[in-house]
Amino acid sequence: MKGTVKIALAGEGGQGVQSVAGIMVEAANDEGREALYIPNFGVEQRGGVSLAFCQISDEKVGAPKFRDADLVIALSERAVRRTRQYVHKDTLFIYDSSMQGIEDELPRNAKKVLAIPALEIAKKELHPRVFNIIIMGAAIEATKIVEMEQAKKAVEKRLGYKFAQNPKLRELNFKALERGAELVKESLA
Amino acid sequence: MAEKPITDEKRVFMTGNEAVAWAALAAEAEIMYGYPITPQNEIMHYWTRLAPKYKRKFLQTEDEISAGFTTCGGVLAGKRAFTATAGPGNVLMQEAMSMAEMMRIPTVVVVQQRGGPSTATVIYSQQETTLTCFGGNGEGLRLVYSTSSHQELFDYTIKAFYMAWKYRFPTFVLGDGYQAKMRESLYLYNPIEKGMPLAESYPFLGQEGRPGVEREPSHLRNTYNTEEELYQIISGYVEDYERMIPEVVEYQVSDLEDAEIVVIAHGIVSRAAREAVKVLRQEGRKVGYFRPITLRPFPTGKLREIAPKAKKLVVAESAQGQLFKLVQEALYGETVPLEPYFKPGLGITGEELVEFLQSNFGQ
Repeated sequence: MKGTVKIALAGEGGQGVQSVAGIMVEAANDEGREALYIPNFGVEQRGGVSLAFCQISDEKVGAPKFRDADLVIALSERAVRRTRQYVHKDTLFIYDSSMQGIEDELPRNAKKVLAIPALEIAKKELHPRVFNIIIMGAAIEATKIVEMEQAKKAVEKRLGYKFAQNPKLRELNFKALERGAELVKESLA
Repeated sequence: MAEKPITDEKRVFMTGNEAVAWAALAAEAEIMYGYPITPQNEIMHYWTRLAPKYKRKFLQTEDEISAGFTTCGGVLAGKRAFTATAGPGNVLMQEAMSMAEMMRIPTVVVVQQRGGPSTATVIYSQQETTLTCFGGNGEGLRLVYSTSSHQELFDYTIKAFYMAWKYRFPTFVLGDGYQAKMRESLYLYNPIEKGMPLAESYPFLGQEGRPGVEREPSHLRNTYNTEEELYQIISGYVEDYERMIPEVVEYQVSDLEDAEIVVIAHGIVSRAAREAVKVLRQEGRKVGYFRPITLRPFPTGKLREIAPKAKKLVVAESAQGQLFKLVQEALYGETVPLEPYFKPGLGITGEELVEFLQSNFGQ
């Protein structure tokens, strides 16, 4: 299991957790690495916590789900509660600082718990729509699963058709990736 | 046939359902019959998107009973036909698959197991093991491949068509919701370019020439008048089946040399088992791994060879003892203790298996 990076991303439906997971593993795969991504899915059409399990490795990945994550990113209160079970002594736990009064719910056994103002930055500096791309930038910085350039290529691959219509979106998304990475870099420095 | 769906081998990154659709195309399946049910829906979706490009067909039926019987009908007409289902759909399909056993119709069914019994979850389980192996009102004269990765979903779906038609037993590819929905890498290839033979299909009904005069009559029956007549037919089938076993049985093993504990798992759970064995071997634990790939017929011979050398066998599955029963039956008369690790309807991680195996070593 060594050498495999395990990431659990969780948020509310519509926060773009699954898109981010999809783009991230695609980026790793395009770099020739082994990646595995599985969304949680149930009978509900909406509502409920949206959870994505991603693993990136240099060799074939084992079981699709895991118990001990290297990185957990939780974007809502329910997501915090839901993902505590994937935290262990080596886990970096990141949550969005916009959540109020969540302190008692945070895991106590993590290696490090980090609050990042992704939502605030999305709203004030960039655009609410790129909130999830900020999260992706943060995840990449925290785990170094792919190079930033590769991440940008994967975003381009996924959203290129939108960028073609409005090139400003490209700039916005790339900026979001970089800001996300900065947030983690600053906090871990 | 129209242009080839796959020419050169290529690495792709996709869901298991998509891999199955590509495999069916590569195996030159001609028609899919189906009725939607999660988590296999996307097999249908991808097939219906891809099929017209390559002159293949699709029929959505009114339910799984019908999907099973139309698949039988497609085969009788000489087509490489298949269907895919899960959970309650798999239950309904057993009616038609019993007929396929009785009439020796080489159907191919891809099963993506979901939770059970009944509607349960749409997510994942290994609770359709018994059903898929022995679902009919007969002896389970069928071939069941339990896959553990997208590469295997692709490989064994192609193989299923060939084996079904070669031996004329209904053939199943047993996947699960995880394999259906997750994304990972695999290589797509054209089996012909790899020198792999394609299923030789031919019509069972409506052949040229006068039956009994210019050709052998096609005498396809699923009804018999006397006990003796049925007994004779089934005995012949059982003989055919038993003759087939050594030619088709498949398994995977590792680290058996010196292994005190052998962990047995099938399908996706075997990945957690391999992970656990790797970790424990690094810790110096004498643990080995056995995975049946064909669940029906079961690799009894190999398991009976392994069992007496081990101090304990751990059977891990996302069901309450369905694989366990197959193992027990295979090991009848052996005295090696069997330790169950049952999680019906729940995924099994590498981490938890490591801990469970450690506890079995008395730590």
